[in-house]
Amino acid sequence: MTTVTSNGKALTTKKTFSRETAVSIDIQADKSIIWALLTNANDFPRWNSTVISIEGTIAKGEMIKLKAKLDPKRVFKLKIKEFEAENRLAWGDAMGNRVFTLKSIGNNLTNFTMVEKIGGPLFPLFAKMIPPFDEAFQQYAKDLKNEAETISKTK
Amino acid sequence: MTIEQFTTEFETARNHLKSYILRITASVEDTEDIVQDTFIKASGKLDTFRAESTVKTWIFTIASNIAKDNLRAKKRWTENVTDICKAKALANPNYFPEVMAINQTSPHGQFEMKEHITFCLTCISKSLPLEQQICMLLKEIYDFKVFEIVEILQSTEPMVKYYLHTSRSKMVNIFEGRCALINKEGVCHQCSELNGIFNPKQNFEEEKNKVEFVKKANDPNREHLLDLRFNIMKEIDPFNSNGSDLQLHHIQHNRDVMENYFEKSDK
Repeated sequence: MTTVTSNGKALTTKKTFSRETAVSIDIQADKSIIWALLTNANDFPRWNSTVISIEGTIAKGEMIKLKAKLDPKRVFKLKIKEFEAENRLAWGDAMGNRVFTLKSIGNNLTNFTMVEKIGGPLFPLFAKMIPPFDEAFQQYAKDLKNEAETISKTK
Repeated sequence: MTIEQFTTEFETARNHLKSYILRITASVEDTEDIVQDTFIKASGKLDTFRAESTVKTWIFTIASNIAKDNLRAKKRWTENVTDICKAKALANPNYFPEVMAINQTSPHGQFEMKEHITFCLTCISKSLPLEQQICMLLKEIYDFKVFEIVEILQSTEPMVKYYLHTSRSKMVNIFEGRCALINKEGVCHQCSELNGIFNPKQNFEEEKNKVEFVKKANDPNREHLLDLRFNIMKEIDPFNSNGSDLQLHHIQHNRDVMENYFEKSDK
């Protein structure tokens, strides 16, 4: 996995048959708040400016339909492959996987990392048609941080 | 705590408890049952009350658990509940004669906009996930603190904060999209429509400008408008107000409509 610093800046690693983008950010909020945001599908558009909609239930083995602003004409049908509460979430399709990890790193401080790897034997044929993810990843992490920290300050 | 002490505490909390359960269940009958069951259950286990919380918090905990069991199998309402129920009311030839009879014969049958606003807030809040609705009501209407809500819901502080924030955010968005009192593009005009029916001689513009959040409809702080809506709900006891018979009839109607609505959509 690409090593990325927790500054909210995305890092993309390109190889012949794959491309991996990662972002990491520290969030001043309990893991459970961040997990709740990441696993409530129909609530995503409210706080996440990169997501148009997610239909379905985010739970192990379930299928979701995701529409993203980066490619609004496409509907991504994704399977929830891993679901380790408050720690790790992974979804994907034949083209690639996205993995979310949460780690408590201090008093009410959580590190959030999101990594997407896409690729396959035919990847070189269509790699140029896939837009870069960096900006969207940075915005995603920023939106998550803003929302989680706002919730954390609720009195 | 003796049974006499508990009974006194329960009676002090009763009105709040009843209105809270009504706003969760939207059923007068279920409210009466749950309040009674709460008293029976609590008085049967007074020896378990640890005084780590207030008696009121303890009563609300028991009542909330009973209400949650009651609602577990039921679907949440939709954001456009008022549209669905209005359509059913218009299609029912008996509906308006019934409500006009209440309005004309009951001392608690008046139509007051503030009471309808409260009724609307109840209905729209039932579109939230149950935990979010409960948290929102407990904090914003019944003035429980976060640590007390944690106990009532048997949850954690981070999750209660998540529910509170998310519920408020959703409610702001829903009212922004729907309520014509605060947004000229709003799709719901029920307050003005019903006021026109029940109070035809009133000047609606004058009446609506008596409502604080309507006067401040242009306030860029839309969360503040929601707070003003909550303030109205806080002041109204749905079982004992100038229009309680009318509003309870509305709420029961809406509950019946929504239960049938989901039954039909399941088939």
